[in-house]
Amino acid sequence: MKEFLQLAIPGLMIGGLYALVAAAIVLVYKSTRVVSLAHGQLLAFGGLFLWVALVALRLPLLIGLLISLACSMLMGWLVERITLRLLIGQPLISAFLMTFSVFMALDGIFQLILKGESKTYATLLPLGEFEVAGVPVGSVQLISFGIVLFIFLLLTLFFRLTKTGLGMRATAEDHQLSQSTGIKVKTIFSLIWIISAMVASVAGMGAAYVMDIHFPLPYIGIKGLIVALFGGLDSLPGALLAGLILGVAENVFAGYLDPLVGGGLKDVAAYALLLIILLVKPYGLFGLKRIERV
Amino acid sequence: MRPCGTFDERYSQDMAILRIKRHWGILIGALIFLYTFPLYGSYYLISLLNSLSITIIIVLGLQLVSGYCGQISFGQAAFMAIGAYTSAILTGKVGLSFFLALPLSGIVAGLIGLGGGAPSLRIKGFYLAMATIAIHFVVMWLILHLQITGTTQGLHPPAPRIAGFEFDSDEKIYYIIITVMLLMVYGARNMVRTRVGRAFVAIRDNDLAAEVMGIELYHYKLLAFFISCFYAGVAGSLWAHWIQMVHPEQFTLLHALNYIGMLIVGGVGSIPGVFFGVIFLRLLDEGVMFIAPFLASMFPWIGIHPAASMGVSVFGLVLILFLIFEPRGLAHRWEIFKASYRLYPFSH
Repeated sequence: MKEFLQLAIPGLMIGGLYALVAAAIVLVYKSTRVVSLAHGQLLAFGGLFLWVALVALRLPLLIGLLISLACSMLMGWLVERITLRLLIGQPLISAFLMTFSVFMALDGIFQLILKGESKTYATLLPLGEFEVAGVPVGSVQLISFGIVLFIFLLLTLFFRLTKTGLGMRATAEDHQLSQSTGIKVKTIFSLIWIISAMVASVAGMGAAYVMDIHFPLPYIGIKGLIVALFGGLDSLPGALLAGLILGVAENVFAGYLDPLVGGGLKDVAAYALLLIILLVKPYGLFGLKRIERV
Repeated sequence: MRPCGTFDERYSQDMAILRIKRHWGILIGALIFLYTFPLYGSYYLISLLNSLSITIIIVLGLQLVSGYCGQISFGQAAFMAIGAYTSAILTGKVGLSFFLALPLSGIVAGLIGLGGGAPSLRIKGFYLAMATIAIHFVVMWLILHLQITGTTQGLHPPAPRIAGFEFDSDEKIYYIIITVMLLMVYGARNMVRTRVGRAFVAIRDNDLAAEVMGIELYHYKLLAFFISCFYAGVAGSLWAHWIQMVHPEQFTLLHALNYIGMLIVGGVGSIPGVFFGVIFLRLLDEGVMFIAPFLASMFPWIGIHPAASMGVSVFGLVLILFLIFEPRGLAHRWEIFKASYRLYPFSH
């Protein structure tokens, strides 16, 4: 049991980050019906911005955090304004391919900045260890898990209670109908990209803390997409639950089975899980089943 | 669009791909040029043509499944890997001739591709795209961990030989690659004009409507996956025996993404578009490779080896521009050019 917990609790922490990335993707899908691959880069750059602010510019923690969040929000807005805005009215699949192109374009820039090195700011943050159910857990991980839960709560409340949130839910249903009721759909699009870029960059900062800023960092975006599909592309609670499940499953599978098959199971477990889910429940755990007509 | 004064008197004339004498002339001229190229082409150009031809075969397969049948597949690199490894195992370990292993590796890749196409009945669009990404990673993980594929060491397939003649250099294997490529193009160009090709297009345009019209969705979607993976497998086999080395590093997700990019740039749903897309992006890559050292010496802050990452960036940028300004790809431009050339001097 202790061994299981030793594997499961760190998995839960990572799972929180996955859930956050998935939440960013779900946000965009909920209001624009675009499935985004670009969030992998948004999160990677979020981590990079924080590194620049804290390590390269030596800003204090709070100011650096705020500045890097602002930078990522600006970046999210730019991605929407420059690329996706021009594709409104085009088939959704070309918007998907557009986010994929954005991913590639930014990936090159990301690698160019890294130059094959890996950067870290792990040492700058306060360290300390707690015991959770007999397993030592770093304080930063615990704090970031708390932040994840807090952001999810905030997002849920935002969609439930505010007028803008209501507008976003309406936009998700039908662009034209909501436009004719006076909702500014373009503003909603920009807003949702800004919010989701912020959420993604928070996840990126957490991920960069755990695994350093290194060339595979953007590919967490693909993990996030898996989580989003698992939970259902239009469900925030689904994203949280699926993220936690995936984080735990990955770690537990890898921990128990890696010695038997010779390693590397951690990465492939997620994809195998995705294949099974898509075959059994194509719309994910809580996703809406869409009924089409010709 | 036919020029003024051109009348087709029989259906066979109307249907023909090569309708007039000039077409035949161009075809024969191009064939002679291609087959005599090693006599005067440089080593660099020959290996460039080899890799272009192999990429054309892969993207043709992708064009059939994604461009014509509308099922986006990010798994093309993995199926190419399956073809390459099958061919390497069949020739190296079983001792089969390359000319038997070539179609066999296509068929094996196609059969495994049927497994990859299985999700396509329940899911479509980006769901399917994600499923194929998952298939890519699962296949590559298996290749890295199975004993028969040589794990991280890779395999070294022998050069093709027939009756004592060994195709062991770029110039010699060039003839095999070009011949297979031409056959594959001929097959694809004609397949899209048959009942099967029309069924693919109907599924792409609206799969529910296609089903109502009496097209068996599952049958045709699986067929599309089989054909595209067959193409990828054959290309993988050629690649393996050309490079004489197969390694998991040669078949990454980045390669698969590149093939999708070639499809977009060339034009979705067009066979000539495959040529345009592959050649355009490949030349762009070569251009970046060429210019990167100069940029690196001019702006030292971008690092010593910026070629790889700059290539990725430029690729993404080109895709963005194409999606915004020319969503129908270079093939559309080519059609416009052909029409205006044929109708000259009358514009209508």
